[in-house]
Amino acid sequence: MNSKKRTILFDNRQYTLEEKLAHLAEVTQSFAASLNIQQTLQNAIQQMLVYMDAEAASIFLLENNDSELVCRECAGPVNITGLRLKADQGIVGKTVITRACQLVRDVSKDPNFSQSVDKNTGFITKSILCAPLLVKDSCIGALELINKKNPHDLFDRKDEHLLLALASASALAIHNATMATALVEQERMRKELELAREIQLALLPSTVGKEFPVAGVNFPAREVSGDFYDFFRRADGKIYFNLADVSGKGMNSALLMTKASSLLHHLARTVTDPGELLSRVNDELCETVTRGMFITIVSGFIDQEQSTITLANAGHQPLLYHHDGRFEEIPAQGPPLCILPSMSFPVTTLPMQGGSLYLYTDGVTESLDENDRPLDIAGLMHLIQSNPQTGATRRLENIVTRIRRPGVNQRDDITLMVIDCTPGAVMNHLLKQHYQARPDQLVQIRNQVRQTVEQCGCTPTLAEKLVLAVNEACMNVIQHAYRGDHTGEITLEILNNDNKLLFRIEDHAPPINLSAVRPRDINELRPGGLGTHFIREIMDDFRIGHLEGDAGNYLEMAKKIN
Amino acid sequence: MESRTRTEGGYTVVELEGEVDLSCSPEVRKVILEVLKAGQHLLVDLSAVSYIDSSGVASLVEGYQVAKRKKLKFGLVGVSQSALGVLVLARLDKIFPIHATVQERIRADG
Repeated sequence: MNSKKRTILFDNRQYTLEEKLAHLAEVTQSFAASLNIQQTLQNAIQQMLVYMDAEAASIFLLENNDSELVCRECAGPVNITGLRLKADQGIVGKTVITRACQLVRDVSKDPNFSQSVDKNTGFITKSILCAPLLVKDSCIGALELINKKNPHDLFDRKDEHLLLALASASALAIHNATMATALVEQERMRKELELAREIQLALLPSTVGKEFPVAGVNFPAREVSGDFYDFFRRADGKIYFNLADVSGKGMNSALLMTKASSLLHHLARTVTDPGELLSRVNDELCETVTRGMFITIVSGFIDQEQSTITLANAGHQPLLYHHDGRFEEIPAQGPPLCILPSMSFPVTTLPMQGGSLYLYTDGVTESLDENDRPLDIAGLMHLIQSNPQTGATRRLENIVTRIRRPGVNQRDDITLMVIDCTPGAVMNHLLKQHYQARPDQLVQIRNQVRQTVEQCGCTPTLAEKLVLAVNEACMNVIQHAYRGDHTGEITLEILNNDNKLLFRIEDHAPPINLSAVRPRDINELRPGGLGTHFIREIMDDFRIGHLEGDAGNYLEMAKKIN
Repeated sequence: MESRTRTEGGYTVVELEGEVDLSCSPEVRKVILEVLKAGQHLLVDLSAVSYIDSSGVASLVEGYQVAKRKKLKFGLVGVSQSALGVLVLARLDKIFPIHATVQERIRADG
């Protein structure tokens, strides 16, 4: 580039007007083809030096809300690229303000000439020609030429006309290139948002089996959503659920949503009280949240064994319990999250007595109908009421279809959840007994299990198998959880749930490595490790886990009997 | 649980009686390994065993393996219905030589 500039500088040939006009047409055409801003600027400078016989040329663009003129490209003996002038400073400034070409044949006689550059560089400015870069009605900067190449020549009116023509072509080219850059940036942002959306989608629970009592849907108004919902079954069988709305709809809401939902998902595995859960998450969020942002949320647990739902509503829309054709509203009893730390969130306990519980965000109730009236809670109730009795997900989709009308711009994120409140079968508690974790206690445990299951109508053969499985489980606790510490305690509970026997064994030993508890290959002949194999062979189902707060371990085994 | 040891037809017969669980399986293991350590062929009589758990079964498996290594004869006799159920669960009913009585085992030995 530099060598090219130098060649031009030493080219003293004079161009005729016809040649200049022909070149001008060529320049205009080449500008139209370029969408790269830097390339366009360089191109413009080169053309100016050649066709205007100038010693130096520079392009100044208005930046920082038109408060500054910044030299974005130049050619000549002194490099002033990056030079910043106030928008009204010097001849360039005057050009921009008046939007008229400035011809200063002799700068020494012009009060507008700023001498600072000459003073700093030793360059001697004699004559200046400066033209505004105009696009429609606005000025985006100026083209400035300094000194004719021939030291005895000065700029004249002919040069002025030529530069004006060149400036208008340059202005258009610069404007187009700027627009193209903005478009590329916009496209990059769109791709980033798409990726963010993918991450958000991955945070939502994946569809689960038909028998799962919770279903949810989320339709963001933009690429990313400030709403979220979650549900999953914990190791102890309880189901955790939440539905929340982060204030705002942009990327900041989406990021806060990501943090909140991750915290809840993690803590809800071990914390069982919905109030305590929200309180802990609130404290954590309050430490880092941006002022003015908050989250309204409903969060709770479904206990199918006890047939109860416990939940806390933190500043969120009232839940709708639809039962026997009637609705009951369950309003918020605590403040939204992220307002103040150390808040408590009252817990509501609902018995599961059939019907469905609906959770939703304001994107649902504030959606507009054909007459631009908001749906409101009454409208949502009507949609729920008129919904045919189908599966949970289908019911939610029906509602969404009604409120997301084609061709109507969705104003807010739409999120809905339904919880089936069918009560679980009545649990019959048959036995709850504590034992010392000692081998000599096993005979007592076996006798009590045998007696209990035989009373339920188990045949002696099945009873013996169940006795063996419980014995093996307790033996594992004695040997592997307590590691021979005989002061520990084992709790054995036997329940009957609609002819399904449930055996629950708890200890208070340090948390065991859950992945290490698995049946071994039975074809491998060795003395140990048979216990878990027996349990798997005998029982229909078993699961192990850590008690809340790592207070111990539990094993649950289930067996269907006639 | 109680155990008695007698000899019959070149075998040391260990008779177990009652419930064999973690509280006594270390003792059963000791008895079995001592017989084998003394280089004697071993039969374990399970006819009076009303219950056996995986720790008891583990002692039998260990006995079987040690006997094999020492090229001694090993087997179970008179396996009670209850004990057989557990051996079946452990897929060991096809591994251990099982006979109804000591005499039957001796006849089978030829």
